[in-house]
Amino acid sequence: MDALVQELKEKVIQALNLEDMTPDDIDANAPLFGEGLGLDSIDALELIVLMERNYGIKLKNANEGKDIFKSIQVMADYISKNRTK
Amino acid sequence: MSVYIDKAAQISIQQPLSNEWFSNPLLPTGRLCKFVRPDFKQYLSPAVSRRMGTALKCTLSSAFACVPEEKRSQLDGILTGTGLGSIENTENFLLAMLQGEDGLSPSNFMQSTHNTLGSQVAIIFNCHGYNITYAHRGTSFDSALMNAVVKFRLNEFKSALVNGVDEMTEKYFQLFDQIGYWKDRDVTIEDVRKATSPGTFAGENSVSLFLTDQPSDQSLCELCDTQLLYRPSDQRLKACVEKICLEHNVSRIDAVVIGNNGDNINDEEYRRLVQLLAPDATQIIYKHLFGESFTMSGIGVYVGATCLKEKSIPSHITIDNKALENPQTILVLNHFKQLDYSITLLKSC
Amino acid sequence: MTEKIVVTGYGIISSIGAGVEKTREALLKEEKSIGRVAHLNTSHTDIPCGEVKESDEELKKALGIASEQTITRTPLLALMALKEAISTSRLTDQTSTAFINGTTVGGMEKSEKYYFDFFEGKHTEYISANDCGAGTELVSHLFGHFDLMTTISTACSSAANSVILGADLIKTGRVDAAIVGGTESLSKFHLNGFNSLMILEHQPCRPFEKSNQGLNLGEGAGYIVIERESVAKARGANIICELSGYANTCDAFHQTATSETSEGAYRAMTNALLNAHLETSEIDYINAHGTGTADNDLHESIALKRVFGEKVPPFSSTKAFTGHTTSAAGAVESVISILALQYGFIPVNLGFSEPIEATGLIPVQKTLHRTLNHVMTNSFGFGGNDSSCIFSKYQPS
Repeated sequence: MDALVQELKEKVIQALNLEDMTPDDIDANAPLFGEGLGLDSIDALELIVLMERNYGIKLKNANEGKDIFKSIQVMADYISKNRTK
Repeated sequence: MSVYIDKAAQISIQQPLSNEWFSNPLLPTGRLCKFVRPDFKQYLSPAVSRRMGTALKCTLSSAFACVPEEKRSQLDGILTGTGLGSIENTENFLLAMLQGEDGLSPSNFMQSTHNTLGSQVAIIFNCHGYNITYAHRGTSFDSALMNAVVKFRLNEFKSALVNGVDEMTEKYFQLFDQIGYWKDRDVTIEDVRKATSPGTFAGENSVSLFLTDQPSDQSLCELCDTQLLYRPSDQRLKACVEKICLEHNVSRIDAVVIGNNGDNINDEEYRRLVQLLAPDATQIIYKHLFGESFTMSGIGVYVGATCLKEKSIPSHITIDNKALENPQTILVLNHFKQLDYSITLLKSC
Repeated sequence: MTEKIVVTGYGIISSIGAGVEKTREALLKEEKSIGRVAHLNTSHTDIPCGEVKESDEELKKALGIASEQTITRTPLLALMALKEAISTSRLTDQTSTAFINGTTVGGMEKSEKYYFDFFEGKHTEYISANDCGAGTELVSHLFGHFDLMTTISTACSSAANSVILGADLIKTGRVDAAIVGGTESLSKFHLNGFNSLMILEHQPCRPFEKSNQGLNLGEGAGYIVIERESVAKARGANIICELSGYANTCDAFHQTATSETSEGAYRAMTNALLNAHLETSEIDYINAHGTGTADNDLHESIALKRVFGEKVPPFSSTKAFTGHTTSAAGAVESVISILALQYGFIPVNLGFSEPIEATGLIPVQKTLHRTLNHVMTNSFGFGGNDSSCIFSKYQPS
């Protein structure tokens, strides 16, 4: 799981162009949206693309992302349970 | 109502956000010249700019440099001309899509839309005013400028920001190369003074003009009018210039800014226009320093306005290599493939 | 007081048919047209669209254009609507006229097909047909002479903004008449773009519905001929209605999301009413932007309530008929609004069953027949580019 969290941090930084951040800057339990990293609705869509491309998880509705993208940790849990690749 | 160019800012293939080109220009080399980038971080935090392409970053930077902070949210209009929009993003999305129609990232699509440039300025300036984008080839910028003048005349504007933005990617450059847009060698000032072969060279530009209804100590000049004409007869062109001059008490045109770019057909039309409209005026050239793009005419207006502000036209931007001191009136001419024309009259203030 | 601007001609093509007569008939008969695409070559065959029935070849034939002419679908659709607009207005070269065209996708529908060929020197005639202005230029080249011409590209509000510029050009005396509107063909590019934003509905869309998921893309073109009242009268034109007010503002919030209070939409409608010197109670029908996305429909509802209070006039979105014709939408829906005004009916908002909880607004659920005096039409685009136009029954000055 720790390896997935680390991998996810790197992929999120890349997908969202968080140029000036390193994986260590992201707290796995901190909220991604709102106060946390200050992400918006487009970032949520980018995260959906990230899950589809890397882990074969396809969401039908952007709203489903709300519960999954609470934090890196929650995202990692969801991916480990639902990944198809 | 009168309109003044209160401030201007440019990012191009010359020194960014400065008038350095006026006395000490960079001499472009190569057939495709890219933006000389300013320090974007001065205006945009990495968090804000992380999804932005180059054209958008340049648009925002020149807009920031042009409009004073306290006036940004109060702008009555943000008007943008862009021939191609953010083509870097368009190509990214297109290329990904041509690989397969699944799992496409939305950011590139979102940024590819032409009006993203002007919208982002409004979002960052928190400006609810009129917001419009023109994408009409070589008169995209001119359309935006004309629309601004119209809104001032209707008393709907007291201030406005007009942008002219185009970037050029390697790929789009190659496409235009397929249809003979570019010369097969570097373009020199001699080519722009007297063209003998087809083709020009590519530049990139983001030019921002802050327009106001009152002159200030820093104003560059008065913007008397901008007129767009489609496939005009010589008679209509003449009548148009005469009418603008009459309306603004201009009896003599000291200089004309022309869009010579080294392409013989393009430049021949400017020679003809000057003969027709202002045969005695000093002819100002600028594309040897800035290159060509769909909105390069915005740089033409900026160059003319800068000469009025500096009260001088240096010899390195005139067709006959002769300087002119203290110009009072400058006509900026633009045509795109002898179809779309624009005429802008600038007057010192 | 400035002189009135009147509408003297109109033309339209969309998935519900070509021409104003066919459009009126389809609206009144509540004909549905959203379905599988036949012409667009996409792998997303499960996404329904409002595609114009005619192929490029059929459009060329209908227009009398040679089959080998280099032309993309966007200007072909434009020509269909433009010809009708000019012929209904009986406008001639004698009147100084502007042509203001709204489009965003431009020639992409061919560029995406031939992109790799271009680099090998094939189909290169379509390279210069790619940009937005190219289509406008070609339309003018093939049909009609204009004194002033430009292309507006503000995504889904492009055509509405063309109406606004045309009116301002007439008001400031730059031209006496203007042909204004927009055109957009479907492309793989923007179908996939909207899909990547996850706002495409996989069934026919249901604007203002509680559980709405998304929109259907459409394609089409619409133009109206507007002119100075005195010019129209002097040339004996048939005056259909007035363009009584309009406004464009920016929500200035986010590229694809709407501010909580719908500031842009609120200001667009309010300013258009001010511009028309009309009270909110005088609007008899609103042709809403109503795309079918949760974001638009909720926020447009919020704005409607802010502007009109508890007395929101009858409103409907006709996008369940035509799909979202993006850059053409402002013109397609202006023509529909003018038809409603002219023939005294309010088109139904197809597919609606339950209102959005937060606002409770209920659109028109069956076609209504009544006299209308003032009709508002909304067009909202990416970047919060929000425009409203008001058309009114003609009252001679």
